[in-house]
Amino acid sequence: MDLGLDRSELDACVSCGLCLPYCPTYRVTGADIYSPRGRIALMRAVQEGGAPLTDEVVDSFETCVQCRGCEPACPSGVPFGHLIESTRESLVEHGHRPPLRLRVALHALGHHSLLLAGSSGIAVAQRLHLVPKGLPLPAKLPVRRSRLDASGDDVYLFTGCVMDAWQRDVHAAVKRVIEACGFGVSPTGGDAACCGALHQHAGLGDDARAQAQRVVDSLGDTKVVLVDSAGCGAAMKDYGRLLGTAEARAFSERVFDVHEFVAGHVDGLPGVEPLDLRVAVQDPCHLRHVQKAHMAVRSVLKPFVREIVELDDEGLCCGAGGAYSVVQPELSHLIRDRKTAAVEEVAADVVVSANPGCLLYMRQAGVVVAHPMELVARALDA
Amino acid sequence: MFGTRLRKTRPHAGDDRCVADLVAALGVERVRSDGAARLLASTDASIFRGGAAGPVCFPDSTPQVQACVRIAAVHRRPVVARGAGSGLTGAAAPLGSAVVVSTTRMNRVLEVDVENRTAWVGPGVINLDLTHHLGPHGLHFAPDPSSQQVCTIGGNVANNSGGPHCLAYGVTSAHILAMEVVLSDGEVVMLGGLDAEPAGYDLRGAFIGSEGMFGIATRIAVRLTPDPPAVRTLLLSFADVDSAAATVGAIIAAGLVPAAVEMMDRRCVEAVEDFVHAGYPRDAEAVLLIDVDGMAGGVEAQATKVDEIARGLGGRVRVAADEEERQLLWKGRKSAFGAIARIKPDYYLHDTVVPRGKLVEVLRAIHEIVDRHGLLVLNVFHAGDGNLHPIIAYDSRQPGMSEKVREAGREIIEVSLAAGGVLSGEHGIGVEKRDFMPLMFSDDDLDQQARLRGAFDGLCMMNPGKVLPSPHSCSDITELTEAKGDLWG
Ligand SMILES: Cc1cc2nc3c(=O)[nH]c(=O)nc-3n(C[C@H](O)[C@H](O)[C@H](O)COP(=O)(O)OP(=O)(O)OC[C@H]3O[C@@H](n4cnc5c(N)ncnc54)[C@H](O)[C@@H]3O)c2cc1C
Ligand code: SF4
Ligand code: SF4
Repeated sequence: MDLGLDRSELDACVSCGLCLPYCPTYRVTGADIYSPRGRIALMRAVQEGGAPLTDEVVDSFETCVQCRGCEPACPSGVPFGHLIESTRESLVEHGHRPPLRLRVALHALGHHSLLLAGSSGIAVAQRLHLVPKGLPLPAKLPVRRSRLDASGDDVYLFTGCVMDAWQRDVHAAVKRVIEACGFGVSPTGGDAACCGALHQHAGLGDDARAQAQRVVDSLGDTKVVLVDSAGCGAAMKDYGRLLGTAEARAFSERVFDVHEFVAGHVDGLPGVEPLDLRVAVQDPCHLRHVQKAHMAVRSVLKPFVREIVELDDEGLCCGAGGAYSVVQPELSHLIRDRKTAAVEEVAADVVVSANPGCLLYMRQAGVVVAHPMELVARALDA
Repeated sequence: MFGTRLRKTRPHAGDDRCVADLVAALGVERVRSDGAARLLASTDASIFRGGAAGPVCFPDSTPQVQACVRIAAVHRRPVVARGAGSGLTGAAAPLGSAVVVSTTRMNRVLEVDVENRTAWVGPGVINLDLTHHLGPHGLHFAPDPSSQQVCTIGGNVANNSGGPHCLAYGVTSAHILAMEVVLSDGEVVMLGGLDAEPAGYDLRGAFIGSEGMFGIATRIAVRLTPDPPAVRTLLLSFADVDSAAATVGAIIAAGLVPAAVEMMDRRCVEAVEDFVHAGYPRDAEAVLLIDVDGMAGGVEAQATKVDEIARGLGGRVRVAADEEERQLLWKGRKSAFGAIARIKPDYYLHDTVVPRGKLVEVLRAIHEIVDRHGLLVLNVFHAGDGNLHPIIAYDSRQPGMSEKVREAGREIIEVSLAAGGVLSGEHGIGVEKRDFMPLMFSDDDLDQQARLRGAFDGLCMMNPGKVLPSPHSCSDITELTEAKGDLWG
């Protein structure tokens, strides 16, 4: 069956296995079928060897977190993220659609006012104890969100979908820091509502491309677009490939993770007393493995906290993986257990992570977490 | 850590009873019998493709391994142990619908005795994880195959693996004290011991390098090595391979014992530099990556001496400024095989060892062979001990290509042996080099080896069809290679 995979991309894998230990699902199962090398071999078997798309083959593809930890580990440069995205899209075309509740949720992401209203509704229900515990929701969603007004026209701050509904405080902190660097910030709001990354990961390629096009259209001038969610930033930097147009490529060139941007202007920030905190940095996969901008988090944070410590797990995923924790709770929990063990090891006061999904997922496991920019903003305001 | 319930899968047609027994003994989460899992267990990192693997079991204790072996025996199925599947000879690729016993879940460091510098580990512990675990104690596990980030200690033992730093520290067998082994009839025995001179025959020594044919190691006692107080890494580059080889000879002749001496030729350097961006010189025909270690003063002196020798022979010298640069250079070297796909989709490599004095001569002959067949070769190898790794990069889809590659491989082995070399330095024999064994050993030698194997596994149930060519092997190989039933049945 044709999975629509590029032969030369598949050929790039020589089955050496050097990527295995960097794959969270292999780490927690020890099974080839949950490894990058195994997934590539199955892609080949299906596309070129005539193997049937059995439940187990589909399971192998669907349990991939799409963290792309295998990519930087691969000496022959296999573009695994691209391979698995195309595979997932083909699965959907062949009738293996994501679960209904996920499709409904993903649909809502593009409708910003609906999403905000829905989220406030859940927040009220939470206060009335009507929402069962254990759902992948923040413990206390905001009922009302403070407004995020434009302070100028120098840079865009991409506000996104869920993050805007659930973690607008983070946006506020980011805005505060960019302003302190001397730039006027223009939050993007409802028009560029959702980057489409989650749709793309779920194999809903058409939806992803539609969202992407909407973002490109609505932010159509020349301002840089700053993103404070690693997953969104990675997706938006890839619009050029996703949409395949010159316009999209030009757009992607303008996208920066907020830490990359602030790292270039950190000297412009006022010298303040660092927060008396020992901070562990958890690198979101899409910041470290995809955008490769994770070092910027450290350089931005360094002047503002007492101490930065590294987790001793070589950037292995936390298990959140966008919607992964909802769709694959079992594997996702095992992966998170490794992360929380690594966190306990370093005995930090707080763990920072530059991605809303990771923040939420680790917080649910009882880890004290913050977005790096929240700490910088707090230090600036102290 | 491994609480996950692997997906329950449909049993494979024809072995329902074997699968049912395994499931009853191990639990449904530790047995996979679907086509996908079988397909993946039928290969390792080599180009060899095995037959349909039997059910794949994931035991996490010695009694569970025992159960796998016993149940397989009842159903007359061979057993193949599998570590990370990073082997380069097809040793872990099962022949004849074997029950595959994966050790990846037996991955705990069980006990570390810092004072006596020993540790007991599960066979599925990843080599680099062990060294990482020992970091706080200032100790490490010395054998460092380039695959150390993924390969298991059990696999290292089975292949008696080496690595760049084995030049000074010795290969795996020098670092294994004892192991608990499940034999083919399910009996558990202890080979070797923690005391310096265990009594009796050195069965531990016999087991190391037995490629899964003598039994399955379920616990391994390893010797730990103190981290050297100081290390210096030098990258030497040369305008031709001869000067690089001459430098290796001169270093050893000067009485220096570097911890590692690795060579890469230009094509190889280009492939790895594309990956690591460590600043490897793309214009050099050959580079040497050398580690000297020991006490700080001695290291300085050795580094200076190496520097002098290299410059004297026309080399350029770069010394890694810090640990980060050092790691990056080594990462390049250790990624070499994987990086080959940047050139061609398939590779086939040998790992003959030749006397150091013959390096240049054999390398020339290899180039001549490969050119004659119109193929492409890259060289990356342990120059310090003459362990070659000529890698033929090719595209197996081109008609007739695989045959040509095999023929060139055979000729490479012949010239290596003619130069007084041996068939395999560290990767083992597996299936890929099995039929070359008679080039090196007489019929009597092979019969003796088969007898030793028979002493451990009289019925030939453990990893049959490997290492020993027919008729010295106890089972009929042609029958074994045939997959029983359809993989996707
Ligand atoms: C990129 C790359 C670089 C490499 N570099 C080196 C190198 O520098 N030096 C070197 O020596 N090798 C090297 N190798 C080869 C390979 O990694 C080693 O042979 C390694 O020791 C295999 O370990 P594994 O866990 O992957 O074993 P596998 O490939 O899974 O198995 C290898 C053999 O061991 C047996 N086995 C596994 N576990 C057990 C057990 N518990 N009890 C009994 N038998 C068992 C199997 O049956 C099989 O016969 C390299 C491979 C790659 C892909
Ligand atoms: S590291 Fe790259 S080439 Fe090696 S198995 Fe993984 S994906 Fe394939
Ligand atoms: S993307 Fe992540 S989960 Fe998927 S195969 Fe690669 S490392 Fe494993």
